[in-house]
Amino acid sequence: MSKPVETDSFLGNFGRTFITAFQTVGAMTLLQLRIFRSLLAIKNFDYDESVTQLFKVGVRSLPVVVATATFVGALMVIASGNFVRATGATTLIGWAAGTAVFSEVGPVLIGLMFSGRVGANNTAELGTMVVTNQVDALRVLGIDPIGYLIVPRFIAMIVMLFLLTAIGDLFALAGGSVACRAVLGIDMRIYWQGILDSNLLSEFIMGLVKAIFFGGAVGIVSCHWGLQVTGGARGVGRAVNDSVVTSAIAIFVVNFFVTVLWT
Amino acid sequence: MKRLWETIRSPFQLLGRTIALLPSARKSHRKILESMYSIGNQSLVFIALTLAFLGLILVYQGAYQALKVLPDLTPVGPVFIGTMVRVFGPTIVALMLATRVGAGIAAETGSMTVTDQIEAMKVTNADPVEYLVVPRFIASIIMMIVLWVFGVLVAVAAGTLIGTLRFGIQLRTFLSLSGTTMSDVWVALFKCVIFGAAIPILAADSGFKATGGSEGVGWATTKAVVHSLFTVILLDFLISSIAYRFGW
Repeated sequence: MSKPVETDSFLGNFGRTFITAFQTVGAMTLLQLRIFRSLLAIKNFDYDESVTQLFKVGVRSLPVVVATATFVGALMVIASGNFVRATGATTLIGWAAGTAVFSEVGPVLIGLMFSGRVGANNTAELGTMVVTNQVDALRVLGIDPIGYLIVPRFIAMIVMLFLLTAIGDLFALAGGSVACRAVLGIDMRIYWQGILDSNLLSEFIMGLVKAIFFGGAVGIVSCHWGLQVTGGARGVGRAVNDSVVTSAIAIFVVNFFVTVLWT
Repeated sequence: MKRLWETIRSPFQLLGRTIALLPSARKSHRKILESMYSIGNQSLVFIALTLAFLGLILVYQGAYQALKVLPDLTPVGPVFIGTMVRVFGPTIVALMLATRVGAGIAAETGSMTVTDQIEAMKVTNADPVEYLVVPRFIASIIMMIVLWVFGVLVAVAAGTLIGTLRFGIQLRTFLSLSGTTMSDVWVALFKCVIFGAAIPILAADSGFKATGGSEGVGWATTKAVVHSLFTVILLDFLISSIAYRFGW
């Protein structure tokens, strides 16, 4: 990959931002294609490594995702509480909090948390393997790093973010109901009745579809930055930083397009 | 259990030391300005991108849902601006800052720790907290407020675009502050100060604890991001509930 020309002028910086952005997107697209090609050739698929990754990605990030989701649900109830207090329409609280959690806030915040916990960890792990020449060692042994390292991680992230979002949504609703009683002083039954009455199945499914795309995005982004680490400990730290930043952008952009296409 | 207690205790310890060293910040205003540049200016594109998409999606969903329940779209704009100022503005900007700045500070202090530069500072009788944490602490609080204003403006601009063009809401009906009160602004400002203080402390804390080569730096950075993301949400919950209880 050729480095953009070094200049200090404003225009130079401006142009450099775009060139780097396009190079990154291009490299990620290529990685995506290589993953799909490897997926089509099933013989590369490593079963044990996939199970390990599913465990690492899913089970270890469950506590932090559940805790985040619970507080996010509570936050949404408190946020809608301000408008409920202004208008006095207590029956709307379940609808407002449920819609917000299922369709937008739940998947996005769980996705961000996931990218911090799993994506960053993944970049750090792959980056360490790259700087200690372990990836090259795999190539020497005739093992395709994409098939052995990347594909299991990519699959694990998609599957697990999907499941974590489904679980997290429920915890968010539960957290919301507690906040409804404890902070707003509204009977929980009104809240649950509001959720049941507003028929949120479509929102719930849209949130899960988003989770699939977020999982894929975090997978590609974190593997990309992990694989192109250079220069020791400092490089690994910087790669993790770039990875979480790119994942956050990807989540917000993907979120918008899924919503617009869905509705 | 002991590890959990340690995770909670050590950021508070670092916070205490940072606050005790705040008077020493007077001689290092150059470093504060540098930190403000790297925390604030270099996050502008990132914040603008994410908050613009947030504004787009909130108005899109808001209008879409409002059409199902209500016949008219007049409350969409004021409600959107009010929630943006009070709820989503501080929270999302802080989450973005936690990912970008938190990871950055942890990566920097972490690689300094594993290459023994922190030890070297201690040997030469220079306090690492004074040199590395205090300037970033001050810069982060200031820039959090600045970025909150910037982020809300970007999100409202993006939201206005989709509200007027896609849903045909009158510009003057949309851009109304009738859903925003002064107490929303005060609560949000308070949140910004607290979030801005929490992020560099948590990040530096996990950076200082990094051990063992590049793997340790990677771990420290991951931990910094997770801890600061979660802490922002937890603090947000606490501040919001107290503010609601007091009727602010």
